[in-house]
Amino acid sequence: MAIKNLAKAFCAGVALTFAATAVVADPVVGQPAPVFTGKTAEGSNLNLEALRGRTVVLEWTNHECPYVVKHYEKSGNIPQLQKEAAEDGIVWLQVISSAPGKQGHVDGATALKLNEQRGAHPSGVILDSDGSIGKLYAAQTSPHLFIINAEGVLEYKGGIDSIKSPKEGDIPKATNYVREALDAIAEGKKVPHPSTAPYGCSIKYAS
Amino acid sequence: MPDVINMFFKWFWRFIARFKWEGIILLAYALATVVSISAAEAAEQAATDQVTARLIAETPAVHPGAAIYLGVQQIIIPHWHTYWVNPGDSGNATIIEWELPAGASASEILWPAPGRISMGPITNYGYENEVTLLSRIKVPENLRPGVDSFAVKAVVDWLVCEEECIPQQVSLDLALPVLLRYEVPREKNPLITEALARLPVASPWPVRAFVGTAGKFQLALETPEGALAQLADAWFYPFEWGHIRQSDPQALTLSTSGLELTLPAGEAPLGLGSQLAGVLVLTEEGGATRSFEVRPTLAATPMGGSGVPGLATALLLALAGGIILNLMPCVFPVLSLKALSLIGQSGQSQTSIRRHGLVYTLGVLASFGLLAVVLIVLKAGGAQIGWGFQFQSPLFVLLTAYLMFAVGLSLSGVFYFGGSVAGLGSGLANKSGYAGSFFTGVLATVVATPCTAPFMAAALGYALTQPPAQLLAVFLSLGLGLALPYLLLSWWPGSQRWLPRPGAWMDKLKQAMAFPMYAAAVWLIWVLARQAGADAAALALGGIVLIGFAAWLHSATRNSGASATRLGSVFAGLAVLLALGGGYSAVKLGVPAQTNAQASHNWQAFDNARLQVLLDEGKPVFLNFTAAWCISCLVNERVALSHARVVDAFAADDITYLKGDWTNRDPAITAFLASFGRSGVPLYLFYPAGKSSEPVQLPQILTPDIVLATVRAEKAQTPEPTSLSATAINGGRTP
Repeated sequence: MAIKNLAKAFCAGVALTFAATAVVADPVVGQPAPVFTGKTAEGSNLNLEALRGRTVVLEWTNHECPYVVKHYEKSGNIPQLQKEAAEDGIVWLQVISSAPGKQGHVDGATALKLNEQRGAHPSGVILDSDGSIGKLYAAQTSPHLFIINAEGVLEYKGGIDSIKSPKEGDIPKATNYVREALDAIAEGKKVPHPSTAPYGCSIKYAS
Repeated sequence: MPDVINMFFKWFWRFIARFKWEGIILLAYALATVVSISAAEAAEQAATDQVTARLIAETPAVHPGAAIYLGVQQIIIPHWHTYWVNPGDSGNATIIEWELPAGASASEILWPAPGRISMGPITNYGYENEVTLLSRIKVPENLRPGVDSFAVKAVVDWLVCEEECIPQQVSLDLALPVLLRYEVPREKNPLITEALARLPVASPWPVRAFVGTAGKFQLALETPEGALAQLADAWFYPFEWGHIRQSDPQALTLSTSGLELTLPAGEAPLGLGSQLAGVLVLTEEGGATRSFEVRPTLAATPMGGSGVPGLATALLLALAGGIILNLMPCVFPVLSLKALSLIGQSGQSQTSIRRHGLVYTLGVLASFGLLAVVLIVLKAGGAQIGWGFQFQSPLFVLLTAYLMFAVGLSLSGVFYFGGSVAGLGSGLANKSGYAGSFFTGVLATVVATPCTAPFMAAALGYALTQPPAQLLAVFLSLGLGLALPYLLLSWWPGSQRWLPRPGAWMDKLKQAMAFPMYAAAVWLIWVLARQAGADAAALALGGIVLIGFAAWLHSATRNSGASATRLGSVFAGLAVLLALGGGYSAVKLGVPAQTNAQASHNWQAFDNARLQVLLDEGKPVFLNFTAAWCISCLVNERVALSHARVVDAFAADDITYLKGDWTNRDPAITAFLASFGRSGVPLYLFYPAGKSSEPVQLPQILTPDIVLATVRAEKAQTPEPTSLSATAINGGRTP
């Protein structure tokens, strides 16, 4: 009897292991975006599916990366986008996937304080220190942006704008892909550049 | 004593008073020089905490007007790296902004072969420890040796990362003395020579790329046996983001004929006919690396033995194609004229007839040779060309239309030119007859080019990818095939017995043959209208009237006395020039005719992106590549593709019919044709329903039954697609 139970447990364990290593495909524009539950900076849990019915922007960020600094402190570009998004009822989530001990890793309180200091007002901050949400979305750089529409379908993924440089002087010259995509979604039109090259520092995953 | 001092001071103040302003300026200049000398140190080198950058030159001095290499050397501390032109998943390539004196220019950065640096799921392409980024700089002509110096300044921006990244910028400058022409600069800088050795070279072996299954590409390098015996690692670095998934492993398969890399497609994958450009780096055991810059065009199917003919096969195919070309609607009138001339010559000596045959063959071969040389030169210049390309130039179409008309006039008897085209009429036995035969050979080639015969396409497709010698051989073989029927007829007296006896009917036939020529001129003017608009066509028609007038004038004044003849010739010449001038302006001002509204046709314009979307959706697609100047294409369209049964079948099976119009130059279509090993039109492809279906090529001569059979047969083989919409657990890609 005991052996039979053991055998059952063993088989279940093996099956679960294989299930866990099932290949997770990259998110594809035009397909439903991967769902997740993340821990926010305030300590609560946030389920992406609960946000169905509203446009959601996911912004991978790292406050020490020069490219993020370019769009925050040096130009106010992203805080401005966040403000516009809030006015339109769009949910803007910062996601911090830096592993503990690596550049950009902060706890909840520090993250909120940094936003206050930089004049940034995202709807929420998700702490992803094990990098699971980042890897779910195959996020590679900071900043790296994903826009999900009200039906839960991924409409945009890629960089914030068209000029890959660390200089804030290039921001006015570049096409802001995020604003362009959000405008298109609001008007019900097709997003002109649904997948663009992301640029910035690499996300500091644990491995 | 004080007097002397007083006098000195008095003199000094008087001096200052007189040269007040000059003195102030002189003083200011002296101060400025001192200040600038101390501030402007030779900043050939600049260092940050992570990178020491140096601006180095190939030679320590330059000649005016010469081109030299300058390099920015980056010495990077261990574990840190800077980036290649495609930095990979994150990062930024180094940028050099040159400040050069007037008349100098700098090339883009010449990037040495990169390495890869991986951090978890992120892969970057760049350089560790040391790299020199070269640029080719042109020195201005107007520098005076011994007096001027060549001063360059470079502002270099880079991103240097270990795990964290720091964008940095330095300013470097260099002033090189200018030598007299006969002075030879001393030894070259070894750092530059080393950097040049690290640049990727053109691949010595063939490289091919094809779209494989399940969103992967295959890159194949064919090497002689044993060339890759010591291979430890191979990696393909694409020049642009998005073509492949940069952090995924590239599966390597080695065989006796070379290597194959499997590359997963990235966010912006390429379609058929696009170029997968990048650097292939092969690392041997022991660390030595070889890097090749490759730009293969993506083909649909792996080029197996079935696709590529060898040279011998190509020559045979070309010969067969040339013979069949005689039967094509373009060439047949010319051939029949030659046959007529043979009948007319039946009273001549056998040697004379044979010579005419040889001269005609020579005319054909010379024209094909010239065509091959032109293609070789164009290919060397990098142009995307295919067979029949000359008809993509409206000017050529116009000139050929004029030529057809002029030949028709000659046949109608309005005038005689050059001892008459077909060698008929007086003067057969003399040299001018030979000129006529030669010219007929040239004419046959000119009118043959818009037609393609079966067998020709494969041979020509092969030829256009080969080095010049092989290309020339295939073209000459094609020419020989074209000339062969007449050559054989003229060579063997026995064959001539089969021809009818000469008589008055020959003249009537000659006049009748003028009409196919007029018809050819009409068709060419229609092509011109498609290419350059109705106004251009009208001007061309006006030109034709002028040519007719010129021809009549010339022959009308021929027998009216010396001065009248001359006058007649002069005015005739003027009329022809006017026709040519009018035609040229027509072509230059022309606009292509608007494509017809799609509502009235069952086809849509070909577009690579649209094709990819349809293929990804698994829809059946029929592709027709055609051109207005390609008669075989037009005949096929009229006979087969516009046939009611075929149109109905397309509609019933929901087959999307895409038409690629190659009347004018279109590099996208040229590249797509090349990916199927073809260099000209027509090309007919059918992609059956189903997501990873292989395309089926239809023959070059279509009938409705052939098309229906292909479409129906493929339908019977592919199963109906399932109606379940697949949603993976995590909302990922449909499997």
